[in-house]
Amino acid sequence: MSTTPPVSPAGTIHDLGYKRYVGTRRSAGTRWLVIARNQISSSWKTWWRYKSSLALAVIVTFIAGGVMFILSDKVIRDFAGAAATTMSDAALPKSIQWYTRAAFLVSLTIGARVVAGDLQSGAFTFYFSRSVRPRDYVIGKLGGMFALMAPINLAGPLLLACARLGLSQDVDQLIGSLMLVPKAIAIGLLGTLVFATVPVAFSALIANGRYAIALWGAYYLVFGFIVSMIGRHSDSWIGALDLATSLDAVALQLFDLHLFTGRAGNLDPTVALASILVHIAAAIAIVGYQVRSAHGSGVGGAS
Amino acid sequence: MTEGASLPAGSPPLIGMLGLTKRYGNIVAIDRLDARVDGKIIGLLGPNGAGKSTLLKALLGLIPYEGGARVLGLEARTHGADIRDRVGYMPEQEAFLAGMSAVELCTYAGELSGLPRTEAMQRAHAALYYAGLEEKRYQPIDGYSTGMKQRVKLAQALVHDPEILFLDEPTNGLDPRSRDEMLELIAELPARRGCAIVLSTHLLPDVERVCDHAVIMHQGRVRFVGSIDELRGARGRDTEILVEVKADAARLGEVLTEAGATCQVVSAVTLSVSLPETATNELVFRRAREAGLQIRGLGVRRETVEAAFLRVIGDAPKKDAQP
Repeated sequence: MSTTPPVSPAGTIHDLGYKRYVGTRRSAGTRWLVIARNQISSSWKTWWRYKSSLALAVIVTFIAGGVMFILSDKVIRDFAGAAATTMSDAALPKSIQWYTRAAFLVSLTIGARVVAGDLQSGAFTFYFSRSVRPRDYVIGKLGGMFALMAPINLAGPLLLACARLGLSQDVDQLIGSLMLVPKAIAIGLLGTLVFATVPVAFSALIANGRYAIALWGAYYLVFGFIVSMIGRHSDSWIGALDLATSLDAVALQLFDLHLFTGRAGNLDPTVALASILVHIAAAIAIVGYQVRSAHGSGVGGAS
Repeated sequence: MTEGASLPAGSPPLIGMLGLTKRYGNIVAIDRLDARVDGKIIGLLGPNGAGKSTLLKALLGLIPYEGGARVLGLEARTHGADIRDRVGYMPEQEAFLAGMSAVELCTYAGELSGLPRTEAMQRAHAALYYAGLEEKRYQPIDGYSTGMKQRVKLAQALVHDPEILFLDEPTNGLDPRSRDEMLELIAELPARRGCAIVLSTHLLPDVERVCDHAVIMHQGRVRFVGSIDELRGARGRDTEILVEVKADAARLGEVLTEAGATCQVVSAVTLSVSLPETATNELVFRRAREAGLQIRGLGVRRETVEAAFLRVIGDAPKKDAQP
């Protein structure tokens, strides 16, 4: 086999110094990293897909941090007039629902299209005609979403927790507040996992990006509102199916805040946590199953 | 069944199949394929439903199957990922990622095939340049014409330096000029990139123009494997020649018929001759000399690939009649 390209007499084929590749190839087990990186870089291209929501998360962090700093001594009282908490303690848990809103926006612009967009454009053929396995694809896509969601859901609460430590009056108070950091990481991770997996599962159910977005939006907003209302009025677990309320309930419990609880007030935090974990597990299973099913039929077209 | 044309002696064949069978429920998509396929540009021919795409899927290790299927000496069932690193696939249907430019897509394709990012980027530019997209490679693919999209598909299949390219209907939807250009690119690839090509198509003129070997499939079975010359001469058709004489073609026909040939007078000076299997062109010259006739021209009358394909397909027994 010749590796030296001859000069085209017609001059229509351009081939500049082709050489056979003799270097090492990236191992098959790390191809998911390429997929995850591409997921991040393509999301970063336009301002409206990701940057706008990230900016919202940054603004939330600044406002919550500002409230912590400026109103650090302001006491919040309950309906009976008793001192319940301080603004500096309430700012972090109350900011969680705003991070959740920013993450929901990203799930609409990116998450709910991840698999649906690939199914729609025929990209499965592109992926699976290479040495990409279904699990590489699933891990890559979910890993990319996790990396996109973490700065919104995880970094913000963590920064606020650190800021709250910085506002400690003395060492005893600092030590007493240290648990805020793992708690912020825990709720941040939970939110990140929810928004990195559940919207992607909806996108794997429908091979049309717009419909997948609509379905996810309807589930999160409409279905979530209905079940949380039913749960609130019937005092049952069904309200835990609303992801936003469940996340809020877990955050309020973690940070021991029992004021201004809204729809999350009536929800058992344990049930809420269980609902979140079931959502995440089901989402991963759905994505895995759908991708694996599409894998075998993704290449070749009609014979 | 064919001689190795692109691999050194002793190397495994490009593609080897032994009892390769794929069933979808009760439907047998490919049925006990036995073949050893080599060549530089191999045409995979067959009518719709012949099993071509199923065969490609099996060879890429994407679907389970019965029997054996080896590509570059690797069993597709167990080494699918290794095979796909060494094989480039140009699909028939669109297989792009929304919003990407050609250079981004090809770089991504190279990385997914294991190339380091810098290398993938360099090779993406080179592959797109080869495919004639040098000026348009930074534009989003969504706005490309059909011809440009076909070129991108070829470039993304080439970018990771494959040893074999599977091209599925690469000239579908192209205007005559773009089709010519695409075929020229394909024809040049074995020499320029050192890769073999499996060209799955139903456009027989494309095969006639660029392929040196052919695999014909029909009703899930392989009906022919071999070189294009063997395909055309599979029933001794290479012995059919067209003889031009100065005068009296009919007389030459008589003397050649006496010698066992089958002749048909085309015109007063032209004769179509089918020689006996053991005879050579020398027979024509000798008999003409003995009859005092002057031969002005002699050419092998070759069967077209299309005619040979129809003959092979036509010869195939009906599936219902098979045991």
